Amino acid sequence: MSGMSRRQFLKGSALFASGLGTLAIFGCAGNSSSSAASSSASASSAAAASGEYKLVVPGKLTCISNLYFPPFESMDDKTGEPVGFDIDMSKALAEHMGLEVNWKPSQAFDSLVPAIKAGGTADIAIAGMTITDERKQEVDMSDPYVDSNQSIVTKKGSTETKESLNAAGKKIAVQAGTTGEDWAKEHLPAAAAKDGIVPLDDIIAAMTGVQTGSYDALVTDLPVASYQIKNSFSDLQVLEPIATGEQYGIAVSKDNPALTKAINEALAKMEQDGTRAQIEKTWFGSELK
Amino acid sequence: MDKTSIRMGARSVVAAFVLALAFALACALPSGAFALTTGSATAKPNEDGGSSVIGGLPTRLTWEATADKGDSVESVELVLPEGGSFDSSTTKITTLKGLERSKVEGEATPQGNKLTVKFSEPLVDGYLIRLEITDMHFPSEGGSVVVGGTYVSNGETKQLQDSAPIETIPNTLVQGIVNWLDHQPWVQAWNSNQFLGMFFKPQLIVTSLFSLLPGWFVCLGIVIASYPFAVVLGLVFALMKVSRFKLLRAIAIVYINVLRGTPLFLQIYIVFFGLPMMNINIDNVILGIIVMAVNSSAYLAEIFRAGIESIPAGQYEAASSLGMGHLQTMVNIILPQTVRRVIPTVTSDFITAFKDTSLLSSVGVMELMMFSKNLTSITGNMTPYVTAGIFYLIVTLPLIKVVTVIEKRIARSERGSGPRPKAKTAVAKEEVADAV
Repeated sequence: MSGMSRRQFLKGSALFASGLGTLAIFGCAGNSSSSAASSSASASSAAAASGEYKLVVPGKLTCISNLYFPPFESMDDKTGEPVGFDIDMSKALAEHMGLEVNWKPSQAFDSLVPAIKAGGTADIAIAGMTITDERKQEVDMSDPYVDSNQSIVTKKGSTETKESLNAAGKKIAVQAGTTGEDWAKEHLPAAAAKDGIVPLDDIIAAMTGVQTGSYDALVTDLPVASYQIKNSFSDLQVLEPIATGEQYGIAVSKDNPALTKAINEALAKMEQDGTRAQIEKTWFGSELK
Repeated sequence: MDKTSIRMGARSVVAAFVLALAFALACALPSGAFALTTGSATAKPNEDGGSSVIGGLPTRLTWEATADKGDSVESVELVLPEGGSFDSSTTKITTLKGLERSKVEGEATPQGNKLTVKFSEPLVDGYLIRLEITDMHFPSEGGSVVVGGTYVSNGETKQLQDSAPIETIPNTLVQGIVNWLDHQPWVQAWNSNQFLGMFFKPQLIVTSLFSLLPGWFVCLGIVIASYPFAVVLGLVFALMKVSRFKLLRAIAIVYINVLRGTPLFLQIYIVFFGLPMMNINIDNVILGIIVMAVNSSAYLAEIFRAGIESIPAGQYEAASSLGMGHLQTMVNIILPQTVRRVIPTVTSDFITAFKDTSLLSSVGVMELMMFSKNLTSITGNMTPYVTAGIFYLIVTLPLIKVVTVIEKRIARSERGSGPRPKAKTAVAKEEVADAV
């Protein structure tokens, strides 16, 4: 009975997403020492000048994110390269700091903070991540660089309201670990009590789910919802924008305060010299605010 | 009905409509025209792995209000019922005009069950005030909590509308254990090791053991419900594959190869997003059972086929020499022997299928991994995944043991299990030992 192949090979694709945080923590801790000597001369001198922050790969600003959050971050259709507002921000940041940018593959949003906290994988997580007290307990957050709000998204023509969604049996998709998830759990307690708040790995799965009727609604950041509805999910609508006035920041390990400081300085510079405004124009058509 | 009565009727309809409109307007507008309207007061669930708000434990209160026409809000004072406390809380103050943040800032001073927020400049019509008060406590006895208070507008102190009640519960046993663990020095020392704290945090092991339990039952339920179907389907396709009819063989080969040759993940996505698109709306768990049954059936078909083919050709010949037909041979001779031979492999497949239910978490089935993911996303800690691993092992380890035992038994019976003479060397050694 030899021909009975097993199917461990199936596991890879899916557990990848949820387990990646775990893997990432172990994965790349050794990288920094191996390629130590070969960073560019200009970069290392600039880095040395601006303080003693540590980098996972010398001379490079290593970034992680969940790359299913357009327009902030997504993968290019053809090349698979990360693109988006945050990616341009990271490039500009690196440039202002005299570094090169080094993007890692996408990982689940809820694994970003643990990965930064554990260290060794990446220097920063730049992922449309709202500055919250909970996150600040785990990692340092940079100064805010974008204002955002939440939104409830439904199928076009849906008769749901914010009130009708707060009922047992309603299914509301969210992205795991996001402020949208927090908002839904807090403001739709009747749905939440019956496991009606469904945390998914990325917002694309949530939008597809609402489109096909698996979920009644989803809660996510307003800029992402608007962008996706305009560009890809034209049969969805923003049912209601939710003013939360939250602000995105960049997550840095608490062990690396010099890096947080350097990033804040670079952000301030980018504000002054118009770099940030330029990037906003590229991705949102106009300057935000 | 004559003309006048119709006109009268029409008039009264109009009158009723006007009245209704006035009433609707009155409801839509805030009761006192010059009032700060409390939009909402909500609390972040602080039950580890649950969705309840527990009194007496730190949580986050989010309070929102909108300034109305004529308002000029200088400060707000929130009041909790007796037993609630804002002490040692921190407040994030956000003021918005529409969806845009305004520059107006504020300063919060907690004192007992009161919290005063003073704004840098008065907030006028249309401003939204949003207070996120972290690490405040609701009264520990639980119950419906209403947040009230006062505000100062144009130098005048006015009463705030009471918020909609927030449901809270008294402390739970699990939460009690967790709080006790929080204060143990050995727990603190343990958690200060980054690896142990990240993967084996005692507090989270306790909470996740309880909160993952429903997910574990869902996993078990799905695999146990799906497996009988998988076995029947698998047997059907196995028999089709060894059938004499080309068409049946072809169908079985396509079915088995497509299902075995594509990731389960993909099959899950197709079923979960495909069926609702065709307006077939079935409960997530049932969909999960269907996918698992279909997927397992392909593997089982292959197992059964191999089992059937492992029966020596002599048995078929012997059966036909006894005058048995093909069907009779299959049912009476071949399949009973096959069953015994495939039991270990089928058990292994069951183990795999049980573990594979984890993939259903990607489409929102509330199974073990989903609960763990949930808890991990709340806590930013990997321990729930480790606990999930323990739950999987509770099922898989005994089954692995069963497989080993059965395999040994089969091996013994197949080679004949009489007593064996002792190996010569061992006997010789014993003799040497005796001599010494």
